[in-house]
Amino acid sequence: MAAGFNWFLVLSCVFLCNLVKTLLPSISSFLSKIFHKDADQETEMRTEIQNMRMELSSINMMDEFARYARLERKINKMTDQLKTLVKSRTAQQAKMKWIVNIVFYIAQAAVMISLILKYYADPVTVVPSKWIAPLERLVAFPSGVAGGVGITCWLVVCNKVVAIILHAIS
Amino acid sequence: MEVCEESEGARTAAQRRAEIRRRKLMQNSEDRMKKIVGFSQPEDSSADRSARSALEPRFHLDLERHEPWSGSAKRLSPHPAETDRSASEAAGEEDSPRELPASPRRGLKKYLSRLDDAMKLRGHLAGEKPAPDRAGTEPDDLDAFCLFRLAASVALALFVRIFVCQYLSIFAPFLTLELGFMGLHKYFPKVCLCFGTDNVEKKSQATVLTAALLLSGIPSELINRSMDTYRKMSLVFSDLCVYFFSFVMCHELLLLCGSDGS
Repeated sequence: MAAGFNWFLVLSCVFLCNLVKTLLPSISSFLSKIFHKDADQETEMRTEIQNMRMELSSINMMDEFARYARLERKINKMTDQLKTLVKSRTAQQAKMKWIVNIVFYIAQAAVMISLILKYYADPVTVVPSKWIAPLERLVAFPSGVAGGVGITCWLVVCNKVVAIILHAIS
Repeated sequence: MEVCEESEGARTAAQRRAEIRRRKLMQNSEDRMKKIVGFSQPEDSSADRSARSALEPRFHLDLERHEPWSGSAKRLSPHPAETDRSASEAAGEEDSPRELPASPRRGLKKYLSRLDDAMKLRGHLAGEKPAPDRAGTEPDDLDAFCLFRLAASVALALFVRIFVCQYLSIFAPFLTLELGFMGLHKYFPKVCLCFGTDNVEKKSQATVLTAALLLSGIPSELINRSMDTYRKMSLVFSDLCVYFFSFVMCHELLLLCGSDGS
């Protein structure tokens, strides 16, 4: 019974890998939010800048030039600080995205290699060989079993089908 | 009196020398300008020519030549031996300075035309909406014909598993199906989602790859045909994968139902 569900195991692994690949941007942004400690500070700065700008718009430059200039300088200084903060956050996000992608691709490669090594000699399923003539050797590679569906052929087929399904859904 | 004559003579000689020096400077300024712009020196002597770099190709156009044109040795000769020979023979020739600017000008024109193409393509690529990251490898959107193909592949796989596979190979009906798709293609309106129209037009994707191929000199017609062939082959491959997958799934489900039933 366990041997009869090899094809299902491979299909599930491929489906999970492709699903995680689709969710990679969300995962990386979630992780960067967790590791980014200055998120609150950034929000506070934005709010403060907005309040100062509203105050600036209420001040008449002709009547209260000194106050206007002081406030404007404050706004500019805080804007520069905010820009620096946003820059560092963006760099951290890019770094996190890069790390998440690398980890994912290494994990995916490990899963695929382990599947190939596990089913190198055994086919994932067997059908009568005359059904899949004249491509029975290609389909059976690398198991070499007549009428069998080899791991490589099944991996390629599952990857394609899962990609089409996920593309249609998304 | 003699002193005056001598001084007048000296002034005249000095004036003459100054005049010579001025003329020399004026001549040299032209040469200097030409060097800056990138043209080689036109009025060099044969000795100067031989001292030039051996890699520099030299062109000689002999307008007063009466002999038939014997070959390319005299016209274009990157080899230093030949160029020296031709330089010594062409000591009295003219028009080589006129020939020399023509090839840099042609090269410059070609470069500028390519630069125009590159700027246009860059603007076009920058103006295109960036495609989101897709999990699938489908380059085009799933239009009506693609969906029809996939549905037909699944349906045929089920039909073949249930009724046909005992008699012949499963790939024969698939090939027949693909031949049918080739004929049915023109009856399906292709909706170009990127332009929002219902015109039957080929959607030309200007990607970085096609831009690079265009700039490297490959004709656009060849690129379009290759991309079209690649797209069709990828569609056939997708159909084959869906067909085979559906066949195997149906087979396994039948085996499961059969084993549960028994």
